[in-house]
Amino acid sequence: MKKFFSSALAKGLIWQLFGWIIGAVFVTLIRLLMGLKVFDIFFFTEPAWVFGGFIGVLFFIGGSGIVNDWFKWAKGEETSDHHEDPDGWEKYINVSLDHKVIGIQYTITSLFLLVVGGSFALIFRTELAQPGLQFLTLQWYNTLMSLHGIVMIIGILVGVAGVINYLVPLLIGAQDMAFPRLNAFSYWIAVPGIVLLLSSLALGGFDTGWTGYPPLSARAPVGMQMFFLGVFTAGWSSILGGLNLLATTVRMRAKGMVAFRMPILVWAAIATSIITLTATQSIGLSFQLVMFQRLFGMGFFDSAKGGDPILFQHLFWFYSHPAVYVFVLPGLGVISELIPVFVRKPLYGYRWIAMSSLGIALVGFLVWAHHMFASGMNQYLQVPFMYSTLLVAVPTGVKFFSWIATIWKGKIETPTPMLFVVGGIVVFLIGGLSGPPNATVATDLHLTDTYFIVGHFHDTIFGGYVFPFFAAIYYWFPKATGRRMKESLGKIHFWLMTPAFLTLTFLMMRVGMLGMRRRIADYDPALGFAGYHLVMTIAGFLIALSILIFFINFFSSIKNGEKVIGNLWNSRSPEWQVPSPMPVHNYDRPFEVIGEPYDYGLAGSEYIKFTKGK
Amino acid sequence: MENNNKADVLNQGVIIFVFLAVLTALEFFVAIEIGAIVLLIIMAIVKVGLVIYYYMHITRLNEDSGDDKHSLKYKTATNRLGLWLFLLSDSFVFGGLLVSRFYLLSLTRPPLNQTLGLIVTSVLLLSSFFMNRAESSMEYGDRKGFTASIIITLILGIGFIAGVLGVEWPSALAEGITPSSNTAGAIFFMMTGMHALHVLTGLIFLSVVLRNGRRGLYSAEKHWAVEAAAVYWHFVDVVWIFFYPALYLIGKLI
Amino acid sequence: MRHFVIVGVLIAVLTPLIYLGVRAVNLMPIEASIQAIPVDWMWNMDMGPIAFLFALIMVPLVYSLIVFRRRKGDTGDAEHVEGNTTLEITWTVIPLMIVIVYAYLGAYTLGETRVVDPNALVINVTAHQWDWSFDYPEGFTSNELHLPINKQVVLKMQSLDVIHSFWVPEFRIKQDVVPGHVTEYRITPDLLGAYTVRCAELCGVRHAYMERPVIVTSQSDYDSWVQQQATAAAALVAKGGPDAGKALVAQNGCAACHSIDGSKLVGPTWRGLFGSQVKLTNGKVVTADEAYLIESIAKPSAKVVDGFPDGVMPIFNLTDSQINNIVSYIETLK
Repeated sequence: MKKFFSSALAKGLIWQLFGWIIGAVFVTLIRLLMGLKVFDIFFFTEPAWVFGGFIGVLFFIGGSGIVNDWFKWAKGEETSDHHEDPDGWEKYINVSLDHKVIGIQYTITSLFLLVVGGSFALIFRTELAQPGLQFLTLQWYNTLMSLHGIVMIIGILVGVAGVINYLVPLLIGAQDMAFPRLNAFSYWIAVPGIVLLLSSLALGGFDTGWTGYPPLSARAPVGMQMFFLGVFTAGWSSILGGLNLLATTVRMRAKGMVAFRMPILVWAAIATSIITLTATQSIGLSFQLVMFQRLFGMGFFDSAKGGDPILFQHLFWFYSHPAVYVFVLPGLGVISELIPVFVRKPLYGYRWIAMSSLGIALVGFLVWAHHMFASGMNQYLQVPFMYSTLLVAVPTGVKFFSWIATIWKGKIETPTPMLFVVGGIVVFLIGGLSGPPNATVATDLHLTDTYFIVGHFHDTIFGGYVFPFFAAIYYWFPKATGRRMKESLGKIHFWLMTPAFLTLTFLMMRVGMLGMRRRIADYDPALGFAGYHLVMTIAGFLIALSILIFFINFFSSIKNGEKVIGNLWNSRSPEWQVPSPMPVHNYDRPFEVIGEPYDYGLAGSEYIKFTKGK
Repeated sequence: MENNNKADVLNQGVIIFVFLAVLTALEFFVAIEIGAIVLLIIMAIVKVGLVIYYYMHITRLNEDSGDDKHSLKYKTATNRLGLWLFLLSDSFVFGGLLVSRFYLLSLTRPPLNQTLGLIVTSVLLLSSFFMNRAESSMEYGDRKGFTASIIITLILGIGFIAGVLGVEWPSALAEGITPSSNTAGAIFFMMTGMHALHVLTGLIFLSVVLRNGRRGLYSAEKHWAVEAAAVYWHFVDVVWIFFYPALYLIGKLI
Repeated sequence: MRHFVIVGVLIAVLTPLIYLGVRAVNLMPIEASIQAIPVDWMWNMDMGPIAFLFALIMVPLVYSLIVFRRRKGDTGDAEHVEGNTTLEITWTVIPLMIVIVYAYLGAYTLGETRVVDPNALVINVTAHQWDWSFDYPEGFTSNELHLPINKQVVLKMQSLDVIHSFWVPEFRIKQDVVPGHVTEYRITPDLLGAYTVRCAELCGVRHAYMERPVIVTSQSDYDSWVQQQATAAAALVAKGGPDAGKALVAQNGCAACHSIDGSKLVGPTWRGLFGSQVKLTNGKVVTADEAYLIESIAKPSAKVVDGFPDGVMPIFNLTDSQINNIVSYIETLK
């Protein structure tokens, strides 16, 4: 208990609450002096809640101690380069500068968000199982549905950060990221953001979906502001994390690790980070503009003042489309990284796969308005964006073909990580194939805003992120802990989740095409969808059950898993050439790259050689 | 353009400033007399190019920093990359604001006070000159020159904030250009507000650097904080080089 | 070599099977508009490559997992094959060409859905939280969208508050209705029947229920319906009073937020409202007399009732006499 309350997490949260109240009281006092309303349905007025929320974030940062070293530098004091972490579990709730600890913090947080977001889904899926409203009000449905979306999205961003932060320094032979303190900051700033996001539940929720379109979001309850502020805050995690990764991969690679000798996951991380560094600012701006419209009447999206709701959509989607490539590029990189290990063959067309990640990221910046085909935007934009959107299929195809060519005539084994890799390929394939009808304007005008889209993105997200994320955990768990997760439970997880998930998304696409709109709490029984919805709900619960089994496996294996200290998967990758768990300083002796990363089958070929340096 | 001694470097700073000043005056003239938007855009790009190359020293990113990752030289180069990546990210905010401005107002502009606009722009440009001078002085170990120049930069920066927040904003409000009146007002206040926020954080950064500089923490060999503050300050100026014509010079009066 | 042959044959067999299988299931609702034809055609065209690509990836994948499984006792690595530049160029260029062809087809079908009939029938559509109303050129408003078969109609759509979207699945095309814009929706229904327009852009709490009938009839049935509606509307306007008011209330969807049975919805109930004492958000208590009701309709934010949200009720396009009629109807609700 004491360990918890003296942790950065606890201190941060307590200070955040304190700062929230101070900020809210401050604004309330000023309003009192100005003769404005000081109380509202949620006690404080909206400006008080918003300003308080902002101050709360600042207090969290101060109270948790993440910026202590930087303040010392500002005062002209030196700080030590190495911070010792405590031995036990408490290091995970404190500020650590070790990228491995931070990676695990991110990963655990993402699993937490997966459970929260998933629970919201189970709740409203239960409501949807039958037509009519059984136990949710329309408000609650809209809020839970909206939160499901954004909580999962933040969960994915945080999970992606976990995979990248833990692995990239290991893969490139670095001791840590280029900016360890920035790395710690990037993790911790997400926490108050998540708190703000979830606080919307207590402040009236919000009824706009995660996309937050005005004018609806300009008139939604106070919870809407908590959504905007929470995402804005958490977005900094993404931006700064991306910055750190790019600097790290450019500056901290081991000797001899030229560009095309980097492990493929590093390429994926680079492409991902280019997006998070830049595009995220656009959603931040779009949210900021709505927040200010609500607070100060600044009519950016208010047609009565000359504003235009469609501008919001442009700014929003300019980030949110590239964001989906942030979701999937790392996972696709995990797939590329793991296949060679489990088929004992070189990664086919490694350079092309590397380039395809950059290609997807680049083209991904040019497609955003395909979310707006029906929006009333300038019609001349439709065809160009259709061309650019269909174009993404080309670099994506390169990946698929290369994976198949790698697997072809390999010597294949399918322990749990490989099961999830294969599952990821199949699910992402279906998701990707359901893309072109959405990219094509004429068909999209029927499909947009229906469950077809919901099916499409769940497939792509599960295939590109969820499945590979589980693959990565099963694969690198031994590296982090020195123990392996139980194979039998892993297989049950996979074989339960996969058919349930495929059923879910196929049915989503089916009802969507037949007329089931998105984001509706209730549907007309005459449409004949009730049976499908019941099955979808059951599938959702089966997925949840499979994930419960995963958690049982995960947590029990930390203490009781079979011990594994060596190169369990017989991988050529650098991190497996040192014992598990990974030593604190990664590589006591630095290594030099002397060969290709994926030269399986080439007798006598080495990838790295440890040197005698310091 | 390798310069070998301090005098040359300081002179170069002056020459670049003269170019910037002339371009600004030309900009003003073109806007009032000719109104050719293409010319204004070209001039802005040239000004930005000058600042990024000569004041922000972007080519330093390409310098060889050796092989020893633990050396000061290497770490400084890594820091430099990190800072530029941050600025790349930040420019997306300002880019988004410019997009919003042209989307909502297209080729009209709010009726702002041109004299005020020209004054605050000149003040900011001059502050960049002194910032460059401060950094160049420190590169040659001239602490006194550094201190004097950075103090002037600070004063000019405060002057810019006072000009925008203290004079322009009240003036706009008095003219009926308010945040909630219409999109022109909303855009004006959001753009100048976000920019001012960055100027303010720049001032805080400069104050810290001034204080630490006077305590002798920096030398010719080791003054990353000075370089960082300078590059950040020039970035804020670069943003204004785009924002000034966008708000004051481009478009027909509404 | 034989592996390639087997896989090739399997792909060649599986592709048409998948394609025909997908075509056999009725994935789309019935086609009820001319515009639906190019949409469904494009969808079916997409199914070809989709079936092929699915087979192309899945067959070798599954085949490999079975045939190339590591044999017991075999501990070595597989063959060291790094790539083949010609193959990689091929599988980049061919998909690129297919993409360009399909994008062209996409543009073509989009054009087909946008064919303009200069003599199209113009109907104005108003969307607001949470109802639709349709203004006919003959000078009446209805909550049902009647359309004559085989005639192009252009709906000119406006929103009074937030973004909505007009969609009839059987018509296929969807178009958002955006405040500050007039968006156009061109459709030529070609199948008699009763359909439903349901809002397809999340627009608040009752988004799920924002729907109205769309009835496609013969031209003569349409004409008589129009005639009947126009006459009835003119009669109501002439008569004025609560009956006209009641019709206006139905047309403008007030019931989405104001109940007449006393239940509290998004807005205050009208039951017993007239003449009652009302507490406002600023604490003052006023009488809900005629002036109050008129003002509350024309300027919804002027006097907001305590416990209800401001800024939700839109400003409707109502004339003074229309407002008076509505008020006289509200007066009758005890």
